[in-house]
Amino acid sequence: MFRRSYSVSHLPGFGFVAILTFLMLYLPILVLVIFSFNAGVSQSIWEGFSLQWYEAAFRNRQVRDVSIRSLWLAATAAGIATMVATLAALGTTRTGRFPGQTMIYALINQPLMVPEVVTGVALLIFVAAIKVQTGYTGMGYLVAAHTAFCIPFAYLPIRARLETMDINLERAAADLYATPLQAFRYITLPLLVPGILAGFMLGFVISLDTVVITEFVKSAGQDTLPTYMLGQLRRTVTPEMNAIATLFLALSLMIVTAFFLITRKRGA
Amino acid sequence: MKDQTARDSVEIEITGLSKVFGQGAAAFSALSDIDLTIRTGEFFTLLGPSGCGKTTLLRVIAGFEQPSTGSLRINGREVAGKGPNARPVNTVFQNYALFPHMSVADNIGFGLKMLGKPRAEVAATTADMLRLVKMEEMAERKPAQISGGQQQRVALARALAPRPRVLLLDEPLSALDLKLRKEMQGELKRLQAETGITFIFVTHDQEEALTMSDRVAVMSAGRILQLGSPHEIYHAPRERFVADFIGDTNFMELPVARLEKGGAFVTLPGGSETRAELPEGLTPVIGEKVTVVIRPEQVQMAPPDAAEMTGTVESATFFGTDTHVHLRLSDGQGFILRRQNSARTEEPAPGAVMGLKLSPGALRVLRD
Repeated sequence: MFRRSYSVSHLPGFGFVAILTFLMLYLPILVLVIFSFNAGVSQSIWEGFSLQWYEAAFRNRQVRDVSIRSLWLAATAAGIATMVATLAALGTTRTGRFPGQTMIYALINQPLMVPEVVTGVALLIFVAAIKVQTGYTGMGYLVAAHTAFCIPFAYLPIRARLETMDINLERAAADLYATPLQAFRYITLPLLVPGILAGFMLGFVISLDTVVITEFVKSAGQDTLPTYMLGQLRRTVTPEMNAIATLFLALSLMIVTAFFLITRKRGA
Repeated sequence: MKDQTARDSVEIEITGLSKVFGQGAAAFSALSDIDLTIRTGEFFTLLGPSGCGKTTLLRVIAGFEQPSTGSLRINGREVAGKGPNARPVNTVFQNYALFPHMSVADNIGFGLKMLGKPRAEVAATTADMLRLVKMEEMAERKPAQISGGQQQRVALARALAPRPRVLLLDEPLSALDLKLRKEMQGELKRLQAETGITFIFVTHDQEEALTMSDRVAVMSAGRILQLGSPHEIYHAPRERFVADFIGDTNFMELPVARLEKGGAFVTLPGGSETRAELPEGLTPVIGEKVTVVIRPEQVQMAPPDAAEMTGTVESATFFGTDTHVHLRLSDGQGFILRRQNSARTEEPAPGAVMGLKLSPGALRVLRD
């Protein structure tokens, strides 16, 4: 049989490190999921199978409220961010090279580089000033903050898609008498849809997951699911939290799977 | 035969056109001072090595690039500054650029749809085009589901469907294998004859250019070096570059013995004098060396005592229909001879001395 002359899997300790890494990644989550089905209140002693904590979570009005708020916020922020990111991606790939182009990439990707807590503090001060001036305390601040934060995550897959798309397709459309708007409508946009969907889903998951920014920006009664869970954990940790976390995990997995399927389908 | 009057009318007129990319020190002149007239209904080829500007010129005609200076008229109308969607010109792209999310039929109908033609007309013309390129069976397939040769046909049909005045073809055959390429060459000639549309064809393949074109413009470094029929380009190259780029060629540096009308007598290695054609406007100085050119098939083997010059065989390569014989002339210059083969002919042996006779009128002086 053909054997590769060089393969890292033959290095000593390779298997051990690999297994250890996967255990570290998945064992805590596995434990969390298992104890969400515990019949007792303990996080360490198994007392039999039960769905009572799921029932409790569903009956809990607050959980329902914060979940709906989280999903609404994620959909709104990711939706706006995807539109902005699509325009930004077109602006950075479908124009001639212009001075400062690299700078623009860096500026768009600010949230990837600035520590979240810095952004959080900055937003806290900024938002507080606006609140004092206008008296407005609605969800607008969270939507704006989440949108800004989601843009780079939505931007990256859209830009990647545009960069691999043959620019001759748009040239061909123009050559065949399409106006710039028609070329976009009939050629660029349909081919960009997978990138836009991927961008939206990434943005959605990121918004759903964000704790730090929400914590700094939210007004009273604007808890999202992650900040609510964090608040609850400061008191007692019942397996109800495990149940909520497990459901949250399932939702994230579904989105990530959809993302994977969409991108893989386009690759074929 | 094409209509003579139609052939004499001008389709594209380019004057003083140049294209510069970049600015200042980084500026690169892709096209310099191009003057070119292309006639209605002709098969016109831009031939040259990569980077010579032929594709840039095509893209300027298509409208993907705007000229830096100069004028470009299509059918008498100035189009410099206009976008590709405002020109009666369609392009067949090198990689075909078929719309991957549309069926073959929708690809072909796209141009007519954008022109706002009624649905029935789009459908009828699409059907005609599918028939023209023999792709009726594939109408509902996506581009990824058909072969490279079929994609080529669809790209042609898509570009022909809006009945452009001019069809631009950017090395459309370069992605095909040899057999398919030969087939498509014939197909292109047929389509051109059937539609009567002016074809401007870009290629780096000199054989393709010679076999398909009515006229060829040989380009190098952003300029047109020579423009003429394939016959003229092959048999009467004016510059060394043109002679070298097209076909195998022998160059010799020979002294001028005397001049006569339209020609110069040069002294061959070995001492005999022979006439070489002079390009227009060139008057060499007697006694000085000039570059002369002769094609390898325009030299015959002869007994050494009846020959104009002699050479020693260095090697011979058998190609089937002919054999290429590499010789060293008596003054040390290398020389290639192409000999037609028959079942009787023997392969020349290295070291043998061979006499050479030049076909009358085959020797030409080049501009440097």
